[in-house]
Amino acid sequence: MIIKIVTVIGATGTMGANVAGIFASFGNAKVYMVGRDIEKVKRTIPKTVKSVRADSIAENLIPADFSMLEDCVKESDLVFESVTENIEIKRSIALRVGAVLKKDAISCTGSSGLSVTELAECYPEELRGNFFGIHMFNPPYSMSLCEFIATKYSRPELQEDLKAYLHNVLYRTVVEVKDSPAFLGNRIGFQFINEALQYAEKYKDNGGIDYIDAILGQFTGRSMPPLVTSDFVGLDVHKAIVENVLKNAPDYEQTTFVFPVFAQKLVAEGKLGRKSNGGLYRTIKDDNCFKRSAVYDIASGSYRDKMDYVFPFAENMKKNIRVGNYKKALEILVGNLSQEAEICMHFLLSYIVYSLYSADKIGYGVEAADDVMATGFNWCPPLALIEGIASVTDVKALVDERLDRKLLEQIDIDRLFSEVKPSKYDYRLYFKSGC
Amino acid sequence: MKEKVYILGGAQTDFERNWTKEGKNMIALLREAISDGFKNAGVTYDDVISLNQQNRVACFVGNFIAEKFVDQGHLGAFLTEIDPSFYGVPSARYEAACASSSVAIDAAQAKIQTGDYDMAIVVGWELMKTVNSKIGGDYLGRAAWYEKEGKDIDLPFPKLFGRLADEMLKKYQTDENRMMDALARISVINYSNAKRNPLAQTRKWFMSYEQARNRGTQTNPLVGGKLANSDCSQITDGAAVVILVSERYINQHGIHGKPIIKGYGHRTAPMLFDEKMADNAGSDFILPWTRQAVLDAYNMSGLTVDDINVFETHDCFTSSEYAAISAFGLTAPGKEYEAVESGLIAFDGNKPINPSGGLIGCGHPVGASGSRMLLDLYKQVTGTAGGYQVSNVKNGIMLNIGGSATTNYVFIVGEDN
Repeated sequence: MIIKIVTVIGATGTMGANVAGIFASFGNAKVYMVGRDIEKVKRTIPKTVKSVRADSIAENLIPADFSMLEDCVKESDLVFESVTENIEIKRSIALRVGAVLKKDAISCTGSSGLSVTELAECYPEELRGNFFGIHMFNPPYSMSLCEFIATKYSRPELQEDLKAYLHNVLYRTVVEVKDSPAFLGNRIGFQFINEALQYAEKYKDNGGIDYIDAILGQFTGRSMPPLVTSDFVGLDVHKAIVENVLKNAPDYEQTTFVFPVFAQKLVAEGKLGRKSNGGLYRTIKDDNCFKRSAVYDIASGSYRDKMDYVFPFAENMKKNIRVGNYKKALEILVGNLSQEAEICMHFLLSYIVYSLYSADKIGYGVEAADDVMATGFNWCPPLALIEGIASVTDVKALVDERLDRKLLEQIDIDRLFSEVKPSKYDYRLYFKSGC
Repeated sequence: MKEKVYILGGAQTDFERNWTKEGKNMIALLREAISDGFKNAGVTYDDVISLNQQNRVACFVGNFIAEKFVDQGHLGAFLTEIDPSFYGVPSARYEAACASSSVAIDAAQAKIQTGDYDMAIVVGWELMKTVNSKIGGDYLGRAAWYEKEGKDIDLPFPKLFGRLADEMLKKYQTDENRMMDALARISVINYSNAKRNPLAQTRKWFMSYEQARNRGTQTNPLVGGKLANSDCSQITDGAAVVILVSERYINQHGIHGKPIIKGYGHRTAPMLFDEKMADNAGSDFILPWTRQAVLDAYNMSGLTVDDINVFETHDCFTSSEYAAISAFGLTAPGKEYEAVESGLIAFDGNKPINPSGGLIGCGHPVGASGSRMLLDLYKQVTGTAGGYQVSNVKNGIMLNIGGSATTNYVFIVGEDN
């Protein structure tokens, strides 16, 4: 597949700007960057250049606005739509693109969870087969995940060629998933994150948000604690993802997708997270301009300084991870029966089971869950986590012992575990000794 | 007659990792590298215990400057922290700047050649991301004569290897455009080879000819003379383990198909860069002692450049790989660009250099680079290099240098026949 000219629609957004960089660098394509305001697009180009650390791509980036959309699309071998997550807006763009797209050109959406099939249907019949979902993660230069979504209309030869292009030319970790709400990575990731948010509410008298993050920090196999991730992504985006799954694809874990009341309130007040300086966390500058990290205290409804929690199981795990003794660290986790260690174990085991279940349902093979969580979230992927825990104890037996039996009865847990394979990822590098 | 020295196997850590960010210290690094190396070589900690009961095993640790990067010396003794099976096992640290693990390999092979030990465990390592690149660059200045060539100089090594490029232009009267173009292509080859290596530091990074050729931009600033960021290896954390064994060990365990070290060269050039350049006046080579180390290895092994199928060289900068091309005998001195332009040294060329990505692509944790190269030759000769396997490798050569090509180490690894 030869892609020489690309149009990115919605190029001033974070994803649009960064994806334009991927096409222009690895793909060496000429990229029309289309935004509402061409001056803003021009100001975005240096960010795109910086995102792949290569001035040499600047000449590949051409600013444009929506009045020029048709002219750009007509020339393009590939069109990538990355506008706001609103189905009506995306439909209106699909209609415009479909009217002028070359007959062998690719069109795709970067949507993180809307129906790709529904958008394909906005295209003239003869072009529906050219439409795909290509969901990348932020920032794509360091996160290589690319969820790939075909529809019943997709032209099989284009589908294979496009996947090969994404993998061989753009160096993406291509994971084909079904056209299901939130796709695979966000579904697994936000099940975990949202349940953590629910637990923060449940344990608000223990500290709430920072209490739960202290239990599920870097030492449990991730680059940042789950509620810091939510704060980073934004509570509005978080809310949209879990509500989409809950409404359109409820499953045995559906109660964990309910967005908590306190968080609804934060969203209503515009307290979304890092992007609005204030969400679950907030950085406070004191009179001397020193920055302090504060957290939203659910119990009191106000911000307070973050606390330094000391849990014996966590301290011991970190101490062992620091010297690379992962087996010992996991032994401590499994063997410690404090409330905090049990919460931690509950989350890790639920994550394993939900990953196996979701990969079975939405992916094509159990490895899909590993690829999405390692390369999209930087979390210890589920199969690798199974390997880690298996060095200490029988994982399936631990699941039977620790997780809610009634919940497990709703899924075919024995079959899911029988399909577990060795991971191609190394669990050791995900367990960090930090908070 | 010296005993043969076999390479049983080994492992390198993922050079993309930042161990400081992971909150892990050198013990974690060593533990992972050794346990992976043992697994690859089919060695267990119990094997170490039983070999040690007969005093048949020793450890050789290569590291340049942990005293600065992690505030720690006495590095040979730290394997005892990994596992009690190392209690009582002779172990010491070897140092020769970026060639530290080559000295460790040399000491290890010598002890097997004399019949003193049946197994020699070589570990090269460096943790460098404990400090920022400015401070790290200053620490590395101690591989030159710090007082005269390093102190109070920003990024001393890029400047020294920038001067190497200048000196080659002068000595050979090479067209500057042609040489800078070849240096850019060397960078691109290393970056692109790294994409095939799942443990390479830069495997996800973008590099193109346009980016490498366009020096002095915001994303490719000049760092030393004519050299820019794209001409440099980066600051890297990592370790590489190789396990060497005697013929007796191979026979006792009924092991087949393991390669041997066929020859080596070790030459020390004048310490100061200016004196090195003054010293080359009577030679066709810009780095005559580097060339001599290569010749020594060819002579000892009875091989010539024609017999070598794969090369791993010390591309701390593109200029050092450029100089290595003629030192290996791939071109006449002064004509190195020909090997780049013709595609000779490309991954699919007849004489591929750095299929691993080399120091620029795979990474350069300085104390680990020598053992990483030896490990890569082992992989190439045994056909276990995976995505970056070169076809039909019988013999491979490596060049590992310390300082501004002051310590020069060469090893040739090949099939045992």
